[in-house]
Amino acid sequence: MEVYKTLAEIPQDELFTGGHGGCRGCGAALAVRQAMKALGPRTIINIPASCMATIGGSGLTTAWMVPFYHSLFECAPAVASGIRAALDIQGIKDVNVVSWAGDAGTADIGFQALTGAAERQENIIHVCYDNETYMNTGGQAGSVTPYQAVTPDTPTGKPTPRKDMLAIMAAHRPAYLATASVAYPLDLIQKFQKAKAIQGFRYIHILAPCFRGWGIREDQTVQLARMAVECGLWQLYEEVDGRRRVTVIPERRIPVREYLKLQGRFKNIDEATVAALQAEADRRFREVQS
Amino acid sequence: MRLLLNGNEAAAHAARLARVEVLASYPITPAAPVMEKITQFIAEGTMRCNFVRVESDHSAMAAALGATMAGARSFLITNSQGLAYMSEVLYHTSGLRQPVVMAVVNRALAAPHSRFPEHGDVVAQETSGWIQIFCENNQEVLDSIIQAFRLGEDEQVRLPVMVNYEGYIQSHTRETVDMPEQEKIDAFLPLVRRPVLDVDNPLAVNTVTGPELYMDYKYHQDAALQRAGTLLGEISEAYGAVTGRNWGGAVTGYRLEDAEVVLVTMGSLVSTARIAVDALRAAGEKAGLLKIRLFRPFPAEAVREMLKPARAVVALDKNIVYGAGGALGRELRAALYGFTNVPVYSYILGLGGRDVGVEDLTAIYRQVNEGLAAGKFPALYQWYGL
Repeated sequence: MEVYKTLAEIPQDELFTGGHGGCRGCGAALAVRQAMKALGPRTIINIPASCMATIGGSGLTTAWMVPFYHSLFECAPAVASGIRAALDIQGIKDVNVVSWAGDAGTADIGFQALTGAAERQENIIHVCYDNETYMNTGGQAGSVTPYQAVTPDTPTGKPTPRKDMLAIMAAHRPAYLATASVAYPLDLIQKFQKAKAIQGFRYIHILAPCFRGWGIREDQTVQLARMAVECGLWQLYEEVDGRRRVTVIPERRIPVREYLKLQGRFKNIDEATVAALQAEADRRFREVQS
Repeated sequence: MRLLLNGNEAAAHAARLARVEVLASYPITPAAPVMEKITQFIAEGTMRCNFVRVESDHSAMAAALGATMAGARSFLITNSQGLAYMSEVLYHTSGLRQPVVMAVVNRALAAPHSRFPEHGDVVAQETSGWIQIFCENNQEVLDSIIQAFRLGEDEQVRLPVMVNYEGYIQSHTRETVDMPEQEKIDAFLPLVRRPVLDVDNPLAVNTVTGPELYMDYKYHQDAALQRAGTLLGEISEAYGAVTGRNWGGAVTGYRLEDAEVVLVTMGSLVSTARIAVDALRAAGEKAGLLKIRLFRPFPAEAVREMLKPARAVVALDKNIVYGAGGALGRELRAALYGFTNVPVYSYILGLGGRDVGVEDLTAIYRQVNEGLAAGKFPALYQWYGL
């Protein structure tokens, strides 16, 4: 399988173009722009209710150069299943069918259709772009919002830990599963290239910070996405046949505290939690080294 | 070829004859056997169709919509709770003008929980923008599903269609059904692909739409729905020319010529009412019947025309719009208002599978006659058979 070895090899053509409606420093728009470099023009994408569903198309204008359908919140993987069934019966084999949802459209309201499509091993790619909150409606907490994060509806901090969507999706035994980060474009694009070359259900979970929700500056999106990897709270890996391979081992390691303290949403976090997160990050780094 | 088929089997054969390419369905009683029959056809190789084994009715509608948007002829079945659950996707399907066809095996909505027939489930979706056809027997189920594809896919319409028949009364009762030859149906219903999701012609579908455009989309959607009302008559005639069976268009009359009191209903009750009208005629009464085949769009103009000579109209509704009456009773009053002063008697009956027989309809007829003789203004609606 051919994958780009350097950033210079990545095509200059944009399939998610400038002029979209995202904020400056939007992690979600970055994720799409990068992924489309790998997916290419023979891709049909459907996106349920989310920032991404509106950023790329409004009124009679669109930033998408591929067929794009703004579908309903609960059912993007089901829509993708139907599209695939229709392409198959017509003998169209060279088109990527993608459901691209936020963390709510993946882990919460969209979870039923996702687990259904994953269990059926639908020949589709589901992408979760994860900003860890419901940003399209103002940043309320969802099931993958981290423990103690302050949001409009958890003003003193979220009382429960983040749901482990990757463990849940791994339990479906997808044909391909990967994590990615907008701070590591080559790694992200390579993963989409690999996913594209595999048949069956593929799941890619991208950490895509939202500066508003995270309480950071708009020029810090990529910095924070990188720091999440450097502190070990977000690990970049892929799984094929249940075997995990870490794809990026950061050149420098930073304490978890450094990542957290830049973010307004963690202003209430307690020391015990910081210590627990640090222990979790340390464990992950040890696993890679062993 | 004539076969003994229940309504569900008739629906499955119709999907096979219509060369449905994608079936996306979730099992729900009493509609599930349609899905089982089609998956059996697929397994036998008598039908070339992809079955999407979804985990819910919401996803069933979403998958059928996705498949149609990608250019395949798609079909699904549901009813009752499943129909209510897929409601928001129904609006997407009609708003995006996608000609999905769905068999709805009508069943009461909970609570209290019921597995038995009435029209409340589909009446609840009256504003969904779907064409809604009602069938009185299993032959009409088969014929209407085939016609529904041609109607929905017509370039002037491009809308989804629900074909309704009742749980158990129709879904599980066998009748003789004539099976048209495949070649005849192929000629009647050619496959024309109009994918909106096409990598060779990329479009952005369902982008956020502001006040400057939204209402215009809705105007065109409503105009297309109205066109479907006229077109159903032409399509039924064309189908009649091919198969010898013309079920009429949106609305048909029975013994209306000099009818003074006209029963109006839809679904399986039409057959019962036809026998009741014959019995009343034999007893010297001037009874007539109006069969509503198309509930959406409601054929108001045809109804006005056909009910002109009537002295009283009796709406028989197997549904209740709480606090407002029966859906047919309401539609009839709206259609007739300003054109005639004929009184509309509105009856709610047969809910949740409660039996309605010929004797019930003749009893209602006599109640109406007494009311007429007394010169009393009819109630907004009344319940029958409690």
